This record gives sequence, structure tokens and C-alpha cells, in this order.
Amino acid sequence: MALDENATDQPESSTTQATAGSGEAAGPATGPAAGENKDDNSQFECNICLDVARDAVISMCGHLFCWPCLHQWLDTRPTRQVCPVCKSSISREKVIPLYGRGGEQTDPRDKAPPRPQGQRTEPPQFGGFPGFNWGGDGAAGGGGGGAGGVQFSFGIGAFPFTMFASTLNFGVGDRRPGAPAAGTRQHDEEQFISKVFIWIAVLFMVWLLLA
Amino acid sequence: MSNIAFQRLQREFKEVITNAEIAQTGIRLDTSDDTLTKLKGEIKGPPDSPYEGGTFKLDIIIPDNYPFHPPKVSFETKIWHPNISSQTGTICLDILKDQWAASLTLRTVLLSVQSLLAAPEPSDPQDAVVAKQCLTHPQMFTETARLWAQVCADAPGERNSQLYKKLTQLMDMGVGKESALSALSCNSWDVSKATEHLFS
Repeated sequence: MALDENATDQPESSTTQATAGSGEAAGPATGPAAGENKDDNSQFECNICLDVARDAVISMCGHLFCWPCLHQWLDTRPTRQVCPVCKSSISREKVIPLYGRGGEQTDPRDKAPPRPQGQRTEPPQFGGFPGFNWGGDGAAGGGGGGAGGVQFSFGIGAFPFTMFASTLNFGVGDRRPGAPAAGTRQHDEEQFISKVFIWIAVLFMVWLLLA
Repeated sequence: MSNIAFQRLQREFKEVITNAEIAQTGIRLDTSDDTLTKLKGEIKGPPDSPYEGGTFKLDIIIPDNYPFHPPKVSFETKIWHPNISSQTGTICLDILKDQWAASLTLRTVLLSVQSLLAAPEPSDPQDAVVAKQCLTHPQMFTETARLWAQVCADAPGERNSQLYKKLTQLMDMGVGKESALSALSCNSWDVSKATEHLFS
């Protein structure tokens, strides 16, 4: 047992040195450093190296590890990736890094092996359909005959009827955003152009039928 | 040995030696060199088992990549148990093989070995002869295991006079204590068969 005592002597002597050092400095900032060797920090010890966790990561089952330790464990048995404590399924993607305040001065990802990054999700955005509002602003600001108004109409049907429907815009009202109100001069002009095109279409179809 | 292994072993040693609770369970840890690669363990035979009160010594060899690979643990003290080889002391225990986890320590390993003594598993044997006896003649198994613990591991209690007489009979012929025990146990305590086995 003589050699056992040697083995235990080393950590003990380092503890006393650390406490003595903090006593001489007499500063409150050295308090946490001395406290690291006390038992109350044991809940923040890595489950693999039994030291205070560095580059800490936590598994989904709630067990704390140093990232280098856990990485080596996962590397050791690629076919059986289980938590070293509770043997639940574990993977590189499903561990969360823990960032304490004032702990890391350097980016831990620069070290090998890199610690997996935290996952950020953007909060959801509300307020209409952002993809479908183009045209509305242009019509309001342009003032040049509703130039920006773009309208799509989709239809499924059999040949000549589809043509009527899409050409004549049956059943589809004026759904453009910012369309000119009935009675204005712009509205009258649009109605006139619309009628002209309808007559052109009718003539075209009559020609098609006769030819 | 890697740095992480050495530091961790130091911590484990400190835990086993300083913790009074661990000393109560009858677990001890000892080392023979400073590199901490070869260790000696010691466990007490669990109560309500044929091994009760015995002191069993174990050899522990720490691999270089500890704790990512399990330590190699085997019995130095001879023991009659279906999951432990009566010849070599090799232990059949899942956590020392594929069920090893890095969070297990030497303390938990020795505790597991101790509970293996209390709960033998003859359906998954290491020593086929012992396992067969354990399944077919449980009474003889218990007596044999107790005598082994008494002779090899200093377990207290009255020795089975019938079996011990046969043992002394063989030892008087100049056979070593352990080989006499082994020969008799493997031959269902038949002295003539054991003698034949030893001298053929």
C-alpha cells in the first residue's frame, strides 16, 4: 500500500498548493480556481476522464462529458454508439455544447477534434405571403396605368373550352392589387383595351372555325 | 499509457482509498509499479454465498487506451465458480468485454465481480465442468465452492470433513494443494479417478 499513498499524494499536494496560492493573492477572483478541487464541483466532472469537463458537451440523456473524451469514445466503437453512462443511443449530432461565461478565450472549434456547433433556429415570421406580394407596391407607387400588376390564372380543362376560359378570363374578377376603381378614367381605358382584345380573340376563333 | 488514463487512475485510486463506504464493501486496490499498468485488486466474498468471508485477489492489467477499452481482470486466487476458469482465473463478464463503458471505474468493475460471485450464471459458463456441476448437482457445487474458498481464500467456517479428508489424502501423496483440489473437484470427489487423472 506504500505506493498507493504515493499515488494519492500527488493530487493532494497540488490541492494544497492551489489553496495556498489563492490565499496569498487574497483576491476574490482566485476563489473559483481553488474551489475546482473541492467536492462541490464534482457534479461538473466529465464522466470519462473524471476531471472538470473541458469543452463540455451534454448528451440528450443529460450526461456531461469533455468533447475530446466523448469524441474518442465514439471513435473507439463506431458500430455501437451508446452513452458511456446510461447506454442510451448517442451520436455526434445529438450532443449540445455548453458555453459557460468567461470559460473559453479561444474558439474550441479550432482544436481537434472540433466540438459540434450549437443549433440555432430562426423564429417564424408572420405577415401575409411574402412571395406573392410583388406587384402591389409597384402599382401603388407607379401610377402609370397599373403597370406593375401581375396576375396569374391557372386552369385545367379540355381544348376549346380552356381557350375560352383563359382568353376571356371567365369567372375571374379583377383581382389585381391596387386596381383602379370603377368610374375613373384609367378604369375606362382598361375596359376599352380589354374589349378590343376580346373582339380580336373572338374574330381569331371565328377565323379558326371557318378556315 | 496515455495522459488521460494515468490521471484517471490516480483519481480512481484516491476514491477507493479515501472513501470509507467503499472499504466497507470489502474492495481494495493496490499497485506494484508507478506506471499504474499492473494493479492488484482484492474483494471479499459476498454474504449468503459459498464464498462468504473469503479474500480473493485479482490481477488487473490496464490497457494503453483505458478508459476507452476495458481493463483485463482475472482471479489470482483459485476459485470454483461457473463463470470463472478454475484453471486460469479468467472471468466471463460482459462489462469486461463488449458491454464495457468508459464511465465504469475499477471500483464498479470490482463491485460487479463481487456480485458475480453472489449470482453465478451457469447458462453462460467460462468453466464448463463447474457449470455442469452447478446445474446437475447444486449441493455438491456449493460444498465444493465453499471448500475452495476456505482452502484458497481463507474463508472462515467449518470445513466439510468428508471432502477435506479426501483432499488431505491426495496431499499426503505429495500433490500440491491447488492441483489436488482441482483434480478432485473435476472428478466429482472420486479419489481414485482424481489420482488417475493426476498421475497419468
